[in-house]
Amino acid sequence: MRVLTTLAVPLALAPAGAFAVEYMTAEQAAKLMFPDAERFEARALALDAAQMQQLAARGVAPRSAQWSVRAALRGTQVLGYVVADAVIGKFELIGYAVGLAADGSVKQVEILSYRESHGHEIRLPAWRRQFVGKTAAAPLRVGEDIANISGATLSCSHVTEGVRRIVAVVEMGRKGGGL
Amino acid sequence: MKVDPRFALRPLAAALLLGCGLAHAQSTGEAALMQRLDQLAAELAAVKAELATLQQQRATAAAPVAQAAPAAQAVPAAQAAPVADASGSARYSVSAGSATVIGGYGEINYNRPKNSSRDAQADLRRAVLGIQHRFDDRTKVVTELEVEHAVASSGDDGEVALEQAYVEHQFSPAWAARAGLFLVPMGLINENHEPNAYYGVERNFVETAIIPSTWREGGVQAVGSFDNGLTLQAGVATGFNVNKWDPAEGRESPLGAIHQEMQLARSRDLSLFGALNWRGIPGLLVGGGVFSGGASHGISVNKSRVTLWDLHARWTPGRWDLAAVVARGSISNSAALNNEFGIVGSDAPIPRSFDGGYVQAAYKLWESGSYKLKPFVRVERFNVARRYADGLGPIGTPDGLPTERVLTAGTNFDIGSGVVLKADYQKFKQNKDLDRFDLGLGWSF
Repeated sequence: MRVLTTLAVPLALAPAGAFAVEYMTAEQAAKLMFPDAERFEARALALDAAQMQQLAARGVAPRSAQWSVRAALRGTQVLGYVVADAVIGKFELIGYAVGLAADGSVKQVEILSYRESHGHEIRLPAWRRQFVGKTAAAPLRVGEDIANISGATLSCSHVTEGVRRIVAVVEMGRKGGGL
Repeated sequence: MKVDPRFALRPLAAALLLGCGLAHAQSTGEAALMQRLDQLAAELAAVKAELATLQQQRATAAAPVAQAAPAAQAVPAAQAAPVADASGSARYSVSAGSATVIGGYGEINYNRPKNSSRDAQADLRRAVLGIQHRFDDRTKVVTELEVEHAVASSGDDGEVALEQAYVEHQFSPAWAARAGLFLVPMGLINENHEPNAYYGVERNFVETAIIPSTWREGGVQAVGSFDNGLTLQAGVATGFNVNKWDPAEGRESPLGAIHQEMQLARSRDLSLFGALNWRGIPGLLVGGGVFSGGASHGISVNKSRVTLWDLHARWTPGRWDLAAVVARGSISNSAALNNEFGIVGSDAPIPRSFDGGYVQAAYKLWESGSYKLKPFVRVERFNVARRYADGLGPIGTPDGLPTERVLTAGTNFDIGSGVVLKADYQKFKQNKDLDRFDLGLGWSF
């Protein structure tokens, strides 16, 4: 019984009431990534068939032709873009947001939600910092330029694939004039 | 039961993929179809959002007190996709996904001893079906049902077992608790034991003979996850039962012979366990665990305590995957127990201590599309009876057995993230009769 009492102490000290798996909303992530932005403008990006084929040829599974991109604006200046997305980890969805600078390079990655029993370490700043500065020219692959997290291989791989897709889509949108 | 929509959509996705594969290019018609699908998905999301709003309004009207709860809690669990909000931009709902998810893994192994081909064996080592159900955003139940060796009956060697059956409740982003039958946090494989999570056809000896993977116990466990990269797990659980000692099994794995797997587990004596893992640097894991508890349960006259600890590290810089594990276990009062059980001097009395360790290096040599070739080499030493108490071991080896050393060299060949083909050769230093070729097929989803 003493054991159980001892065990209960850290649980009792745990902050109660916080929502367990949603760390932030996409709006909060956008503001965190672009604190200087005066407003965010939703822009719908529609890829055409040729663009989808280009993505596929580059090894990026397009998944969707329709993308919702937030443009971070200060006056008329575009500071960058934020795309919120979700990928399957091992069993459950991981919500994440990618902030990109105006030149299309990754500015910041935030995990919005994580629900798996293992692998929450993808939230660690050190892991997410690996993406900063990466462009569509980078491999953006686990085991190449992104280090894995032991015990969270699928989560790491799938989020990395998601970031690669978003970087490629935004790059396409910038160059094609869709953004 | 609500089944994960991934499965429901698979035939459609497969058909689309097949179409893509045959054509080698997407036609305008296919792109239009995808756009139509997107449009339908967006419309569905909008309908769900409206439904969510209505449900929320109804819930608010019914229970005004609920307004005091965090806003996120009011998001219904049915929302499954980025949803358009009033401004037209997408917002991601954390409450996404199906409530019930089916997963599984399995492995088929072929072992061919180098010097004894008549002992070659093919075995459906295990097939596991996992069902996870989320009751709400904070609470879920995780179960895994395993069939080993294909057939389980009175005339066969197979077995059916529940590997995991626990409820997890998240108290806060940092703290969760598990209760039920769960995997003990020890070593690198025990909690991550799917065939595509480790190298080699067979699991390594250290994490089977010394750490009895797949090792599970029944109890309660607190899991703390912190922003500095530390994960702390601690709890109280059922433990081992020395009264079950079986010499034949004990010679293979001392703890494998006396584990209980929550099958009418003797639980007069409970065990404490804890594990600390640090992943503060990308690609690096350093950690350790300890498990200790009484194992006599008031049945044997002589009391005994079983203790096992491990230290482990894994580093994955670039294409490399480097790992090391050391583990050591002990069974106290083993001299008295061996006397009480009348097994002094037998082939396999209860050892006082047992240990092992390995180092392993793997390298992603080649990758093309979804194929990855990852050769590896592993060197391990292990001893299932490092010492016998008071020199009361088997005749000829009274103080302890010789240490076995195994060199394993081979490769994993990944097909996507869910299928792996394996081939390796294992060379034994002590018992050369065990030298063998292994082939394996594994999957996990």
